Amino acid sequence: MGRIVLEQVTKSFGETQVIPPLDLTIEDGEFAVFVGPSGCGKSTLLRLIAGLEDTTSGKVIIDGEDVTQVSPSKRGLAMVFQTYALYPHMTVRKNIAFPMRMAGIPEDEQNKKIAAAAESLNLTDYLDRKPGQLSGGQRQRVAIGRAIVRDPSAFLFDEPLSNLDAALRVGMRLEISEMHERMKTTMIYVTHDQVEAMTMANKIVVLQAGNIEQVGSPLDLYREPRNLFVAGFIGSPKMNFIEGDEAAKHGAHTIGIRPEHIEVSSDAGTWSGVVGVSEHLGSDTFFHVHDTGLAETITVRAGGEVSFKHGDRIHLTPRQDVIHKFGPDGLRL
Amino acid sequence: MSDRRIPRLLQTPAVVLLLIWMLIPLGMTLYFSFIRYVLNNLRRPEWTSPSLSNWRGVGNYEFVLNSKDFWFAVQNSLFIVGSILFGTVILGILIAVLINKTFPGRGIVRVLLISPFFVMPAVNAVLWINMILDPVLGLNGLAVGGINNLIDNLQTAPVVGGFFSLWPEFEPISFRATQTSAYAVIIMVTWQWTPFAVLIFMTSLQSEDQQQKEAAILDGASAWSQFRFLTLPHLGRPIAIVVMIQAIFHLSLYAEIEIVSRGNGNKNLPYLIGEFANNNIGAASATGIFAVILANIIAIFLLRMIGKTLME
Ligand SMILES: Nc1ncnc2c1ncn2[C@@H]1O[C@H](COP(=O)(O)OP(=O)(O)OP(=O)(O)O)[C@@H](O)[C@H]1O
Ligand SMILES: [Mg+2]
Repeated sequence: MGRIVLEQVTKSFGETQVIPPLDLTIEDGEFAVFVGPSGCGKSTLLRLIAGLEDTTSGKVIIDGEDVTQVSPSKRGLAMVFQTYALYPHMTVRKNIAFPMRMAGIPEDEQNKKIAAAAESLNLTDYLDRKPGQLSGGQRQRVAIGRAIVRDPSAFLFDEPLSNLDAALRVGMRLEISEMHERMKTTMIYVTHDQVEAMTMANKIVVLQAGNIEQVGSPLDLYREPRNLFVAGFIGSPKMNFIEGDEAAKHGAHTIGIRPEHIEVSSDAGTWSGVVGVSEHLGSDTFFHVHDTGLAETITVRAGGEVSFKHGDRIHLTPRQDVIHKFGPDGLRL
Repeated sequence: MSDRRIPRLLQTPAVVLLLIWMLIPLGMTLYFSFIRYVLNNLRRPEWTSPSLSNWRGVGNYEFVLNSKDFWFAVQNSLFIVGSILFGTVILGILIAVLINKTFPGRGIVRVLLISPFFVMPAVNAVLWINMILDPVLGLNGLAVGGINNLIDNLQTAPVVGGFFSLWPEFEPISFRATQTSAYAVIIMVTWQWTPFAVLIFMTSLQSEDQQQKEAAILDGASAWSQFRFLTLPHLGRPIAIVVMIQAIFHLSLYAEIEIVSRGNGNKNLPYLIGEFANNNIGAASATGIFAVILANIIAIFLLRMIGKTLME
């Protein structure tokens, strides 16, 4: 079990309120991802749930029990830190054993669990090494192993992959998703990488300055962003926003169109502009188009084989069914 | 070829100077330790100047080994150094952990804590033995006197009087006595050197990783377990440094021993050398060679120990 509910939780550091009153429910077995720009309070929120920070007001409820005043170790949660926070003087085996040792679990049971965790995380060969002798990815796995053996009711991850290189990040992302499929334990995952958010989450929580902007499944957020902030934050490259006359034609203050929803052509289209930088990714090409009279730049995605040169005139046609309309207050119409 | 010779050539004066700097005193000591050389002898005036014709072989060494004070001085040296190390490391860790937390007035407390380190050893000894440890006029005497007065008064008190009349009169400890003078030295040097340990441990504590502590809190570690399994291993290296430096320093304690009891009941090797050097330079030199050997044994032993903690 691991149903986590936040009720009117706030957090202030001195005078500054970092988290204004906030309500959130994370269902048992869910993979919830907190995303948002740097400094928006993601880590703070996670630490409030873990109990490493005290709430200024409001309640944290885990499985129906109010744990606001309960010490972190009694909440039954396990956390994986961005810097791994492994104990440098202990071997991998002792690191993984540490929470069990603190809980007074008998030695043979400890050994069984260590063996199982090491097996599932590919750490068996490294059990007698010190953290300093491991690579970043291996350290991250040890940190996860240390969390697994506690059988927590929920896992908390604070940007666990941000210190890894791109290839390893993809691998670990899959491993963590796989682990969630297998264990069905609640996981809360903080990241500012929206690719991680989109690929891993059942539920994404988009935060800005401590406020929840929208909660929903990745595709909900992609298809129906509630406001301009979420629309701009989810999706890569970023959605194009167009204001003025063109928006008025659609009866909106601002319209948004994703780069992948614009057709390009060399001879005809609704809009036209001049190609600036083009980014060739192989499978796709992103063109940054200027002088359209709509916005500073319009980004469009085309197939990898499409090729325009810098300065070419290009014609653009948006798909009418996926144009997002927003009112003057930034909310979706 | 020649591009190597020039730097070597340029280094030579420094190296030679260093060698002379170190080898001449050691060579002189060795030389004196194998000859008869005394400052004053009316019957054999030829012994009063160093000369190879006074060759004594290992005679000085035999004399030192058989003198009643030698083994006592070795033992006592080790006892004093060991006790001071134990005291300063334990106290240093305790105080460093305590003042590592933020509290109002921390800056002032830190300065005050460091201040004993700036007192000269001789002054330190005079202050302690006269003002604190003196059995009559020092704090020691006053405190014991005060306790005795209090007990006297309580003996006439109504209910508890009977209980207190069973208590004996307390005697202040005389720290200049044969049995206790070593403790006096240990106490005053520990007081003086604890700040050094605190300073080093404090610096190390400030570099402790806070996320490791948070991870340990989540893992269910109590404050003691956090100290035992995280802080103490983290302090391993600084502890080794403190032990090493102090061991070398305290093997050569002199002023404190002289001031507390003039060596009564409390000699170490340097003090013994000093006593021999009043007249018998040959024996003093032989003791000096023993002291060098002892220091080397301890240094090797400590280096091994430190090496082991660093490997872990
Ligand atoms: N101990 C603290 N004292 C004062 N202010 C703090 C403290 N911890 C965090 N803050 C402030 O709270 C805000 C939220 O911080 P938080 O660490 O939760 O951001 P974040 O969303 O995790 O950012 P990032 O993506 O960079 O990790 C920041 O403005 C930060 O300056
Ligand atoms: Mg953060």
